[in-house]
Amino acid sequence: MTDELEDELRRALPATQVRGSRIRRRRGSDAGRSRVRTDSAERALLRRDASVFDGGVAGPVCFPETAAEVQAIVRIANAHGRAIVPRGAGTGLAGGAIPLGAPIVIALTRMNRILEVDTINRVAWVEPGVINLDLSKYLRPMGYHFAPDPSSQQVCTIGGNLANNSGGPHCLAYGVTDTHIIATEVVLPSGDIVMLGGLDPEPDGLDLRGAFVGGEGTLGIATKIAVRLTKNPPAVRTLLLSFGHVADAANTVSAVIAAGIVPAAMEVMDQRITIAVENYVHAGYPIDAAAVLLAEVEGLEGGVQIDADRIGEIGRAHGATDVRLAASDRERALLWKGRKTAFGAIAQIKPDYYLHDTVVPRAKLAEVLAQVYEIADRHELLVMNVFHAGDGNLHPLLIFDGREPGVLDRVHEAGAEIVRASLAAGGVLSGEHGIGVEKQAYMSEQFSDDDLDHQNRLRQSFDPHCRSNPGKVIPMGHSCADIQALRRVPTGVWG
Amino acid sequence: MTVSTEVGTRLAAFAEAVGPTGPVAVVGGRTRWDLGGAPTEGTRLVTAPVGVVDYQPQEMTIRVGAGTTVADLNQVLADAGQRCALPDRGGTVGGALAVGQNDIDLLGRGRVRDAALQIDYISAEGRVVTAGGPTVKNVSGFNLPKALVGSLGTLGLFGEVILRTNPAPATVRWLHAERAEPLPVFEALLRPAAVLFDGQAVWVKLEGHTVDVDAESRALEALASFREVEGPPPLPPHRWSVTPADALRAATLPGQGERFVAAIGVGLLFADCPQPARPADLAARQVADRMKQLFDPSCRLNPGRRP
Amino acid sequence: MDLTIDPDELNMCVQCGLCLPSCPTFRVTGDETRSPRGRIALMRAVQNDDAPLTPEVLEAFDTCVQCRGCEPACPSGVPYGHLMERTREALADDGSLTPVWQRWALKPLNQPRLLQIGTTAMAVAQRLKVLPDRLGAPADLPLRHHALAPSATVDAPGRETVFLFTGCVMDVWQSKVHAAAQRVLEAADVAVIPTNRLAPCCGALHTHAGLGDDARARAEQLIGALPERPILVDSAGCGAAMKDYGHLLDTEAAREFSARVFDIQEWLAPRVDQLPQVDKVPVRVAVQDPCHLRHVQRVHEATRTVLAPFVQTLVELDDDGLCCGAGGAYSVLQPELAGLIRERKVEAIDRARPDLVASANPGCSMHLAGAGVRTIHPMQLIDAAISKTPL
Repeated sequence: MTDELEDELRRALPATQVRGSRIRRRRGSDAGRSRVRTDSAERALLRRDASVFDGGVAGPVCFPETAAEVQAIVRIANAHGRAIVPRGAGTGLAGGAIPLGAPIVIALTRMNRILEVDTINRVAWVEPGVINLDLSKYLRPMGYHFAPDPSSQQVCTIGGNLANNSGGPHCLAYGVTDTHIIATEVVLPSGDIVMLGGLDPEPDGLDLRGAFVGGEGTLGIATKIAVRLTKNPPAVRTLLLSFGHVADAANTVSAVIAAGIVPAAMEVMDQRITIAVENYVHAGYPIDAAAVLLAEVEGLEGGVQIDADRIGEIGRAHGATDVRLAASDRERALLWKGRKTAFGAIAQIKPDYYLHDTVVPRAKLAEVLAQVYEIADRHELLVMNVFHAGDGNLHPLLIFDGREPGVLDRVHEAGAEIVRASLAAGGVLSGEHGIGVEKQAYMSEQFSDDDLDHQNRLRQSFDPHCRSNPGKVIPMGHSCADIQALRRVPTGVWG
Repeated sequence: MTVSTEVGTRLAAFAEAVGPTGPVAVVGGRTRWDLGGAPTEGTRLVTAPVGVVDYQPQEMTIRVGAGTTVADLNQVLADAGQRCALPDRGGTVGGALAVGQNDIDLLGRGRVRDAALQIDYISAEGRVVTAGGPTVKNVSGFNLPKALVGSLGTLGLFGEVILRTNPAPATVRWLHAERAEPLPVFEALLRPAAVLFDGQAVWVKLEGHTVDVDAESRALEALASFREVEGPPPLPPHRWSVTPADALRAATLPGQGERFVAAIGVGLLFADCPQPARPADLAARQVADRMKQLFDPSCRLNPGRRP
Repeated sequence: MDLTIDPDELNMCVQCGLCLPSCPTFRVTGDETRSPRGRIALMRAVQNDDAPLTPEVLEAFDTCVQCRGCEPACPSGVPYGHLMERTREALADDGSLTPVWQRWALKPLNQPRLLQIGTTAMAVAQRLKVLPDRLGAPADLPLRHHALAPSATVDAPGRETVFLFTGCVMDVWQSKVHAAAQRVLEAADVAVIPTNRLAPCCGALHTHAGLGDDARARAEQLIGALPERPILVDSAGCGAAMKDYGHLLDTEAAREFSARVFDIQEWLAPRVDQLPQVDKVPVRVAVQDPCHLRHVQRVHEATRTVLAPFVQTLVELDDDGLCCGAGGAYSVLQPELAGLIRERKVEAIDRARPDLVASANPGCSMHLAGAGVRTIHPMQLIDAAISKTPL
C-alpha cells in the first residue's frame, strides 16, 4: 500500500469534526475520528462477511458520507489502478463483500440517512447504509413499509439488499427487492455519477436500473436509492401448522398455491431448527412436530379470513396435526422473530454452519428435501432445514464444529451434492443470497459458456476494467480482467 | 400441462434462421412496429417459435415460444384460472416483452419487466443464450432479463420465455364516478388494480375476493357516487410516462392536448399529443451504448431501432 | 496473548452480525472494530492467533460501553459481557488497559469518607462554576451528606424487612433517590435497612475496568455484610453487578447472595397493590430503560408495572432500548462517543415528546441531564405521587 494513496484518500475524506469535544484516542491509534483506516485491526476484521469465506486482508478502509466522497475514492482508486469493494453491514452469506486482492473497501454504513418520504409518488429516497428494518419502522406511522424483509433485516442495509436483489419471507406475495427499487443514483466504476431508472413507470432506454440490481457490487456503488412504499395491510393472520412429516408440510405449500392462494409468506422449519429457535424466543413453537409451517395472509379483513380458513383446511387435508392462529400482535411478532433469527440460533448446537440457498420447483420440494437429509446422513453431518417454502427456496443448514479435523471437506462435498440435486430438479443456484464467491464454481452447471459470456458483457458495460468488486459472481475464466485486478495479499499483516 | 416438448430443436431452428451475419429482426404482431424506429431497409425478418412449451399452474410459471400471441397465452392461462402481466394488444409474447410497455391495470397484474423469469434468446453471433432462471425466485448471476425487457430486440432476439403467472382474481369490478377527486380515491383503497382520471371523472378497477371488492366499493361510495361500468374509458392515442405526482396534475402538463386519461399512483398518461422528448442522462447513455456494442458489435439486431 | 477466555464461549459467535444495530458504538461509527462481532473477532485473533495488541485493537476494547445490548439480540446466546470482562481483566493485569490513574480514581469508591470529601470539593467547584461539564456530575451536588436511618418498623411482626443498597457514587450524589425509595417502600408497609457503610461499593466499575481482584474483594465484603434479607437496589448497574456475584466468585455463598438481589422496581412490581391508591400525576413520562436493567437483568417491564398506577401517560421510546452512552465511567472516559450515542437517545426522546424521562439508573440520569433532558428516578415519581408533592 502506498503512502501516496493513503494521503490522497485522507485528503478526500477529512476526519470528522465533532463540535465541543476534544479528540480522545490512544497514543499512536489510527482510529479516532479518521474516516480512512489503514491499521491492521480494521483491515483484518473486514476479511470476512457473515459467510465462511476469507477474502484476505483488505486495503485501506474508507467511510464516505456523501456521493461526492464515494466518487472521489473511486477516482483515486482508478488513478492508482486499485480495485474497490463496497460493503454494508457485512451480513452477506455468499462472500460478496470479502476483499479479494486487498482492494480499497468503501464502507457505506455512515451513509445512513432517510432523505425523503414522498407519499404522493409512493417512494422514499434513502442512502445505501440505511438499515432495512429501520426504514420500515420509520415508515410505519405513515402507513407504509418496505416490502423486502430478509431474515437479517434488523441489520442488513438497503444498499446490500439492492446489490443482492434480496428476498425474504414476504417476497412471496410482494416480489423481491428488484420490484421495489424504482431508481438509484450510482457512482459508476469510472467515477461518473448516474441516475438509473426514474419515478415514472416507463423511463426511456434500456432498464439499466433493473440490470444494476443484483450486481453484487460489481457494477458500481448505489449512493441514493428510491424505494417503493407498500401500504400496510389493515388485516393480518398468521397461522402455525404442525406436521408429523416434513413432506406433509412441503405438500401443503404446493397445494395452497395450486388452490389459487398466494399468501404473504409461507415458511417451513424442521424439528431440529424449531427446537433451537424455541429455546431462544419462547414463542410457543411445537418442539414435538417434525415440521412447522408458518403461513401469513394479509389484506382486507374479509379475504384474509377466507384465505386463512382455506389454508387451515388444506393443511389438515395434508396431515397437519395442529393449526394455530396467532392470537395477538405480540405472539405474531415472536413467531417471526424466531423464524428470522433461526440461523444464529444453531450455535446452541454446533459453533459453525454452512447455509445453502437453492430454489426448486414447489412440486419437487418434498423430493429434494428427502435427498438433502440423505446427503447429510451419508456425509455424517447434521442438517437442519428452514426455508421460504412458498417460493421453493431451500435453506439447508449444515452445522458442524470447524475444529473437528476433516469436517470442512465433508461440508463442502455435501454442499456440492445439495446444489446438484437442486439443479437436477429444475432449480437454480441461489434464490436470494447471490453468487459472491460461494457459488462461482457452480455457475457453469446452471449456465452454458455462452450464457456466462453474456453475463460478463453486462458486467463490462458498467465496469469495463473490472475494478469494482473483482473476483465475484462470474467464475474465473469467464470474467473479464478480474485476474489482473486481483493482486496478491500483502504480507506482514497478521491473522 | 405440456403442449410441446421439442424445446431444444425449435430454438435451434430459430437460431439457424437468425444466423450469424446480416441485419435481422423478428416480426411479431407488428402492433408497435415503429416504436424506437423501424428496421432499416434490407433487414431480414424472421419469426420466433410459437406455442406453449410447458405449463405447471402450481409453479405459477409458463414457458412459451416468443412468437405465441398474447391472446393465445391468456386463453391457456385463463383455462387454469391464472393470468400474467403482459398486455394483449394483438401482438406476441416476444413483442410485448421487447417493447416492455405495461397494461393500464399494472397495479393489479404486475409490471411487464417483472414478468420475465427466463429469456432464451439468439445472440448477435447466432447462439442460443439463456438469461435468468426458471423459478419464481432467482438471483443466480446478473439480472440480464431486465436489460432485455424493453430493449426492442437490440441485444438479442427472444426465442422462448418463462413467465411468472398469478391466480386470476375471483371478482373484477370497474366503477365510475362522473366527478371525484382522484387522490383521496387512490388513498382510500388498499390495492386498487387501477385508478384512472380524465380531469373530472374517475374510473376504479377493483379485484380480489368478492367480500373485499364489496367492502372497497362501499368505501368508495363515501367519497363520490360510483356506479359499476363495463370497463375503462377509451384511451387517447399517445402514451406518456410521468411521475405519479405529475399524473395528478395532468391537466396542467404542457403539450398533452385536450383529452387525457391518467393512471393515478402509476404515472401512465394517455393524451392527444405525443410526449415531448425527455432529457437523457449522458452517463447512463454511455453505459447503454457500451452494452449494445458488447452484445451486438456489428449492429445487426434490429438495426434502426433504439430503445 | 492468552486472554483466558473459555474457548467454547469464544467459539459461540457465528459472525451473523445480528448484534450490530444493538451496539451503540457501531450505530454511531458504522465501524466493524466498534461492534460486538468485530470485538469478538479481535479477541479470537489475540487469543488464538497471537495477534499483536496494537493501539487500535486496545481501542476497540476500550470503546465498548459494556451495555450488553448485543446479548438479547444474539440468537446464539454468546455471553458477550463475560467475554469482555475477561478480556479487560487480562489486559488490565498485563498493564495494557486501564492506566494507573484510572485505578487510583476507582480506589475511594469504597471509602465513603474520601468520596464525601471529594464530592464536597466538587460541589464547591460547581458553585464557583469551575467544574468541567464533561465529568458529568449532577447539577446540584450536595455540600453535606445525610445518611438515611433504618425504618422504625424493622423486624416488627408481619412486616417484610429489606436492605436498601445505597452504594457509593450514587449515595453521595443522589441521596434524594434513596430517600424517595425508602419512603415508597415504607408506604408499602415494608421496613427498610439502608446499607450505608455496611456495604460501601458493589465493584461494578472495577469489573468494567478489568480490575477483577478489586471487584472480587468488594463482592466478598458485601456478601459478608448483608445476610439473609432481600437486597433491593435502585441503581440498575449495581444491581446487575450484584446479581452476577455468583458468576464472579463462583461460590455457593455468592450464588445464594445473588439470588436475594432485586432491582427495586422488580421487587415492588408484584407488591404494587400494597402501595396507597392516589391520583395519577398529570404528566407524560417516557421510560428510559437502563441497559443493565433491560439487557442484563431483563426486568425492565417491572418499571412500567410500578409506574402505571401513578402517572397519567407512559410512553415508550422507539429505539429498542439502545444504550444512552452513560456506561458507568464511560461518559467520562470516552466523552466523544458517549456524546454521539447520547444524541441518538435524545432524538428518540424528542420523538416521544415526554414531560419527563424516568430512568432507574443514576448514571443514565446524569448523562441525559447533561444534554438538557429532564430525568427522574421511578421511585421519586411514585414518592411525589403518594406525597402529592409537585414535581
